[in-house]
Amino acid sequence: MGVDSFVSWLRDVAVSLHDNAAYLTELDSAIGDADHGANMDRGFQAVVGVLDETSFDSADELLKKAGMTLVSKVGGASGPLYGTFFLRFGTALAGADLTPETIGKGLHAGVEGVLARGKAELGDKTMYDAWAPALEAYDAAVAGGSDLGTALTAAAEAAAKGRDATIPLVARKGRASYLGERSAGHQDPGATSTTLILESAARTLP
Amino acid sequence: MIGIVVVSHSRALADAAVGLAAEMVAEDKRPVIAVAAGLDATTFGTDAMAVSEALGAADSPDGVLVLLDLGSAVLSAEMALEFVDPELAARVRLTSAPLVEGLVAAVVTASTDASLDAVAAEAERGLAGKQDHLGVATTETAPVVEADRTVELVVGNEHGLHARPAARLVGLVNGFDAVVALTDLDTGKGPVDAGSLSMVATLNAQQGHRLRVGASGQQAAEALAAVEELAKQNFGDGFPELAPAGSQPIGSAPGGSGLDVAIGPAVLAGAQIELGDYVAGDNELGRLDDALATAGDQLRELRDLHGDIFAAHLALLGDRKVLDDVRGSIAAGASAPAAWQQVYGALATAFEGLDDEYQRERAQDVRAVRDRVLRLLVGVTEKAPTEGILVVPELDAATAATLDATRIAGIAVRAAGTTGHGVIVARSRGIPLITGIGNVEVPPGAVVSFDARTGSFEVAPDEDRVRATITEREGERSIAIEDADRPATTRDGRTIDVLVNVGVIQDAVDARGADGSGLVRTEVLFGDRRTAPTVDEQVDAFRAIAQALGGKPITIRTWDIGGDKPLPFLPQDREANPFLGERGLRVFRRRPELLRDQLEAVRRTAAETPVHVMFPMVTTADEVAWALQELGPRDGLEVGIMVEVPAAALRVGSLATELDFVSIGTNDLTQYTTAADRTNAAVAPLADGLDPAVLQLIDHVVRNAGVRVAVCGDLASDPQAAVLLAALGVTELSAVGPQVPLVKAQLRQADLGRVDTAAVLAARDAAQVRGLL
Repeated sequence: MGVDSFVSWLRDVAVSLHDNAAYLTELDSAIGDADHGANMDRGFQAVVGVLDETSFDSADELLKKAGMTLVSKVGGASGPLYGTFFLRFGTALAGADLTPETIGKGLHAGVEGVLARGKAELGDKTMYDAWAPALEAYDAAVAGGSDLGTALTAAAEAAAKGRDATIPLVARKGRASYLGERSAGHQDPGATSTTLILESAARTLP
Repeated sequence: MIGIVVVSHSRALADAAVGLAAEMVAEDKRPVIAVAAGLDATTFGTDAMAVSEALGAADSPDGVLVLLDLGSAVLSAEMALEFVDPELAARVRLTSAPLVEGLVAAVVTASTDASLDAVAAEAERGLAGKQDHLGVATTETAPVVEADRTVELVVGNEHGLHARPAARLVGLVNGFDAVVALTDLDTGKGPVDAGSLSMVATLNAQQGHRLRVGASGQQAAEALAAVEELAKQNFGDGFPELAPAGSQPIGSAPGGSGLDVAIGPAVLAGAQIELGDYVAGDNELGRLDDALATAGDQLRELRDLHGDIFAAHLALLGDRKVLDDVRGSIAAGASAPAAWQQVYGALATAFEGLDDEYQRERAQDVRAVRDRVLRLLVGVTEKAPTEGILVVPELDAATAATLDATRIAGIAVRAAGTTGHGVIVARSRGIPLITGIGNVEVPPGAVVSFDARTGSFEVAPDEDRVRATITEREGERSIAIEDADRPATTRDGRTIDVLVNVGVIQDAVDARGADGSGLVRTEVLFGDRRTAPTVDEQVDAFRAIAQALGGKPITIRTWDIGGDKPLPFLPQDREANPFLGERGLRVFRRRPELLRDQLEAVRRTAAETPVHVMFPMVTTADEVAWALQELGPRDGLEVGIMVEVPAAALRVGSLATELDFVSIGTNDLTQYTTAADRTNAAVAPLADGLDPAVLQLIDHVVRNAGVRVAVCGDLASDPQAAVLLAALGVTELSAVGPQVPLVKAQLRQADLGRVDTAAVLAARDAAQVRGLL
């Protein structure tokens, strides 16, 4: 695998988020500021724009550029959060061979960046509630000798469970936290977009 | 100066917040404020790259403070710190301060070159003012250190120490190496840090509130002086309420004929406005609003011409609570004038019921506002008292001071009493005046005349006879003025010094024939000041008075405040009985600083020109000893006291042992002797300076003082009374300017040996005394 796989991934994410933009926004309108779908769509269309204009020699350069683009174009909190994810992911991949292990390290670096930026904890009803089980599942799969595709699929499935588990939670971070108890009963949009990104990775990266 | 960055989801929000904050500070004092807000002009969102660019733009060696709204603004700003040069990032502080309030506080504080720490702390306190106002408990109070020195000042600003003047104060204070604290003495709030906009805002100091300003540190004195100077300039707000004419102290307006006789058509003021013919329409609220708008225009014009008193009227006109009552009454079916008259009438009555004289004066103001609007509502044109004889139930000082004395022929006051403020002011302006005409029916416009010398007031008089009298008096007066410079030597060869009372320098300039000034009212001379005059300023004023009087001696009376004469720069607590409270010299035994400055000015003036100094409101020998000690070396100075308190009159011998003279203030001596308030129309007739009891005290003083005895009260301005005083042994009389030539002329006609002083002293009452004169 090479940089092309990551280009495919990001283009696929853009399509997936575009298709799900209305859905994400609907989720966000229940407990947030009703812009998550539009924001993510705008951000990844901008990434696609970059991909159309620029060719990248390495995955780390590509991911860093995608991160910077998201930082500037998303607008909402998911901009710095996903921006940080891709920046750290890319940085971790610099100079490394692309293996399930190195990609796993990259994913961990990215999620640590998200945690540092958002200061969320498990159960705060954020994207971390999808990321955390996903990483756990990925690590377990790789440790068990699975290939990248299997590991990413396991991660995506775990993310989806984590996403669903956000429904009863009371939000403690972000705009949804202003709603307090009223945020319970709604699925977290951030955990939803994280799941979409991981599902896309399982489809395109291997 | 630090830089400031504003991070917001919305460009419009950020720009507006910056605009709001920027207007607090002059452009050349503003910190650099960079905005990173919105993805574009209309799309909400934050962009870490844009924030990092803004950080670069606002970068300063002193640091950068970042104010943020919420959510991604915080994340983007944090992220931006990872993008910029680590050295820059180390100088950047992200603050949790509220965006709008924090930004205002930050911009103001930054403009004073405060450190990043100080600006950040100030921004974080940005909510304090609002929390305090809304009654939200705040636990944080600024640490305030004990002040090394303090001054007191009065907030003159129409809207109190609101945001802009407060910002100027904070900016000024932070420029000094000093910790400055403010306490609102009227509300008891404070002390708060005067270098903190939010803390100053929590004081909510309103117009008229007295502030104690304390300072400590290296530049405490400089900081206080600068604060005083700023306060003097209304904290930079200027003096919109004081046009040049209005800012002149009472008594400086052009004077009247100086006669005691007058004739002209009666101009009635304060008369009831008839509502009988008023027909209510279906838009009474609209009519009311129209009338209020017009009244507001009129009052603003009057305020610009005549000053403060009409600013107070404007405030009464706009009193929301009262207006609500009026509107409620109209909504319930009353006509606009009926509702207005009822509500403002009730308000005036409420004021009248208060036992504080100042508040009672406000009742006059309420009635004036009530009638102004009523006239507009019922379509009666205001008969501005321009030409003719003004007939009023009572004469307030404001009316007396603002009348066009070149056109008004005279004033007839229904209430008795010759020592009220309005009366004193009118007399000092030379406006013919009679008091105590009672309830004589006077049809508006009818020709009326009066002769104060004979005490007669006539409706439809024999005009030829009155005009003949006027011509005769004018002749007397012109002769008196012609002879003004001749000494007042009586037929039996006694020469009496007749001097002039000076409240403003113009009094000395206008004086004709005065042998100096027997009374310089320093509290009037500087009464329009919001802060205490410096020693130099006082010397300048005293010198100008002496020069205007050709270098003849001037008698400077030290600050005579309290009672009915508060000074803006030396506020006093409200007292239940101000006339029996801390007045005159009594005030300074606790707070001698202002007096010391004044005595310094007196000594310096005395080095140039003949000066006497006297202390008001003395009661005991102890007070005299204290005053003399404060005065220090007397050199060529002649020193005296005022005799106004009966106790001082009775033991004048023991008080005057180390003095050069005493000067009797007949107004206060009269009211203290008769226990009658000269400003209370109900008892004012009792406060008659010619009451034999008062005259007996004067006689006692002359016999027992052992020093020169002067009279500087109103009695000395009455030519007949002046002769009596001279006959009693008073050798110096100080009169209001227009009366000086007349008093001198009368004295020249007099044979003091033929005045039956024994009969006067034994008389039954003042009326009998008048009969004997």
